[in-house]
Amino acid sequence: MNELILLCQKILNLPAERFAENQDEEVILQIDDNEFEKIMSLLYDAEFTLACMFATENIDEKSNLTLFYIFEKSRCHNFLALKYNISADKAPSVAMTFPTASLYEREIRDGFGIEFEYSKDTRRLFLHENYPVQFHPLRKSFRNGQTVPNVTVPPDEEYKFREVHSEGIYQIPVGPVHAGIIEPGHFRFSVIGEAIYNLEIRMFWKHRGIEKLAEGKNPTQALALAEAISGDETAANSWAYCMAIERLSGLKIPPRAEHIRLIFAEMERIYALLGDMAGMPIDVAYPVGASPIFNLREEILRWNGKLSGSRFYKGSFTIGGMKNDVSTELLHELSQYLVSFSSRFHDAVQHLLAQPSVIDRFEPTGRVKKELIAPMNITGPIAQASGVPRDVRIDHPYGLYAKLIPEIKTLDGGDVLCRFKIKAGIIQHSTHLISQAIREMPGGNVCAEPKLRDGTVLSVVESCRGQNVHWVSIRHGLIERYKVRTASFCNWPAIEFAVQDEIVPDFPLINKSMNLSYAGTDL
Amino acid sequence: MIIQYFVYLFLNLGLIIALAPFFISLIKKVKAYAQGRRGPSIIQTYRNLIKLLKKEVIYSPNSSWIMQISPYINIVCMLVAVLFVPLVFIPEQQNWFGNVILFLYIFAMARFFMALAGLDAGSTFGGMGSSREMTLSSLAEPATILIFAALAFVYHTTNLFDVFRTISISPLLAFNPSLMLLAISLFIILIAESARVPVDNPETHLELTMVHEAMILEQSGRNLALMEMSSAIKQMLLMSVLINIFFPWGNTTFLSFPAIGLSLVLFIIKCVILALVIGLFESFIAKMRLFRLPNFFVIAAALAFITIILEVFVP
Repeated sequence: MNELILLCQKILNLPAERFAENQDEEVILQIDDNEFEKIMSLLYDAEFTLACMFATENIDEKSNLTLFYIFEKSRCHNFLALKYNISADKAPSVAMTFPTASLYEREIRDGFGIEFEYSKDTRRLFLHENYPVQFHPLRKSFRNGQTVPNVTVPPDEEYKFREVHSEGIYQIPVGPVHAGIIEPGHFRFSVIGEAIYNLEIRMFWKHRGIEKLAEGKNPTQALALAEAISGDETAANSWAYCMAIERLSGLKIPPRAEHIRLIFAEMERIYALLGDMAGMPIDVAYPVGASPIFNLREEILRWNGKLSGSRFYKGSFTIGGMKNDVSTELLHELSQYLVSFSSRFHDAVQHLLAQPSVIDRFEPTGRVKKELIAPMNITGPIAQASGVPRDVRIDHPYGLYAKLIPEIKTLDGGDVLCRFKIKAGIIQHSTHLISQAIREMPGGNVCAEPKLRDGTVLSVVESCRGQNVHWVSIRHGLIERYKVRTASFCNWPAIEFAVQDEIVPDFPLINKSMNLSYAGTDL
Repeated sequence: MIIQYFVYLFLNLGLIIALAPFFISLIKKVKAYAQGRRGPSIIQTYRNLIKLLKKEVIYSPNSSWIMQISPYINIVCMLVAVLFVPLVFIPEQQNWFGNVILFLYIFAMARFFMALAGLDAGSTFGGMGSSREMTLSSLAEPATILIFAALAFVYHTTNLFDVFRTISISPLLAFNPSLMLLAISLFIILIAESARVPVDNPETHLELTMVHEAMILEQSGRNLALMEMSSAIKQMLLMSVLINIFFPWGNTTFLSFPAIGLSLVLFIIKCVILALVIGLFESFIAKMRLFRLPNFFVIAAALAFITIILEVFVP
């Protein structure tokens, strides 16, 4: 019997028949209006974390709109999915119990026009004020086409930033267009002199409508969309998407493909985190320490190119396995290269950690408190640097991670230095995982033929930034709804907390130490 | 008599205008090599300036006449300041010319207008840069004044011409141990005034951490070229002050072609060495936290203060 079902039975005091297991990944529980509030507060008391929340339309005949709440409980392999059908276009808000829900509720309000009662924050999220009122693109009735943007924004639709009033407080608006070549994001600081009193981040300047685009496509076509979610999470997101479809089809992919997937995903993690680690010394004007790390990153990117034909693993995953095999000689060469990589990387990190002027900037800048991690569902290196050992590869093993179990370390400081060290540790460990996967590499095929089936499925992976959640629903062989939530979506608010009581010139460093994806937030 | 001032004028202005951009490039090159890069060409700064001079100037609709005149005030201030510091040839002193107090006030005036121009366009970063620049200079200026006060105690004059003449006549004076403390102080001021790491980051793309670059963010075209030239001149000028006080060998007081030629060659070599030192110093240190910078300036002030005590109490 599933341990999560047993646990939930005990906590929620419900009969076992109410719970349904779906694709070995999640346990679905259908709830109604009367028990909604009670169940939410019981889950809160039992320390469940809200991992994702989304709405769907016409998921089955009985309902019009359905809300899904995906919960995670530490040390439980499965996720708990609460399915809540709503009759009118409104639902109770859970943001006061689970603060991370606030963002999802705003997202759903924009996409579907569902109003959340008693919600503290009803501002628009991904559809900025220039979109017309009553414009809800994720509704099935919405057809893609020309829309007329608002030229003048009605005053009550105007976006209101949190205002902090006191003597000497003034606002600094930064972005969405920046001096460097980076993605768009607006940062509104309330400062007294240089000290930051409050920061509010506004994203969603380049909405691509990926979730809507996927609807009506066949699953093979939609893989290209999954790849495009965020550049340096390509392997992680394509893996998550392929795994979702494979779970639906009940397909077990060939072991050689599992090994190659792990190698690609870990190589991607290495190069992405190397970029973060080089960026941190650059932001404190110590490029001499950054250049060896940049060199290593470039070498890894070239290896990516040799292994898959794409430096960023575009087009290398496919449903049922991998597009191409990798020759054994090349893998052997890679494992030899990783030995030298590992020692050079170690030297580069030790050099940086031996610079008093660098350490002085890294410590204790940008602290993320441990208490924030669960309520805000902060994952990945940020959580690990704040003393919370969360990692999907360990908590909910997928693919080869069930056999090659990663080890993760945690640090308690939660500052830039801790994140730097955690990222260095993850990179070193990824090289071990790759070498181990190469050593145990089986022969055979790299691709199996999938037999597509209808249904809904959840698939969660660990990208370089943390937990990425994919949820796919297929009907008549076509995608009915595709929901993606990358780690960045939940992790962005961590910056708002980390910069409090810091000074404005330290913001770029704190931002870089997390290096979240703008594209991954704004699908 | 008058001819030596013409020679002086020509040499000082000519040298500074011709070489100031070169040292900007040279420091960049040193930093690039330290990072294992090839770096931009040594004449890139000249190319940039020429390119900017050809471009049109765009003023923000919010800006006033301050924005229009401040680049000119800056370049004029710097060129006047150049006349206060003999580079290779030291003519006889003329009353007020070369007075160190006036020299510092000319710098302060240029800074004042640059900060005003930063505020003038009404952009966030300009205001932030100006506010930081003023905060930092209120800390750096007392240190600078102490340094020159200490120098006045050593040489019994506040005139740079006199100081240089005394040193060039008896170069052994430069071995005075208390002068070495002053050299360190002056080096710190040189780093701070030319907006370098660890005080400021001259190459930063991070609009939130900049100081000097933030102030000139709204400048464009010809005006930007003038602003950049002013800071290049300021840097070379402070480098020459440092060199001519502490490494004066070769400076001449005689108006003869071979003497000036030799002095010129030695001066350029000394400048190149100092630029290498600055580049390496910058490469191997990270930028300081903004609120730690007062400590850095206090070092400069303290060393200057020790020099004064040594000069006054140790016969």
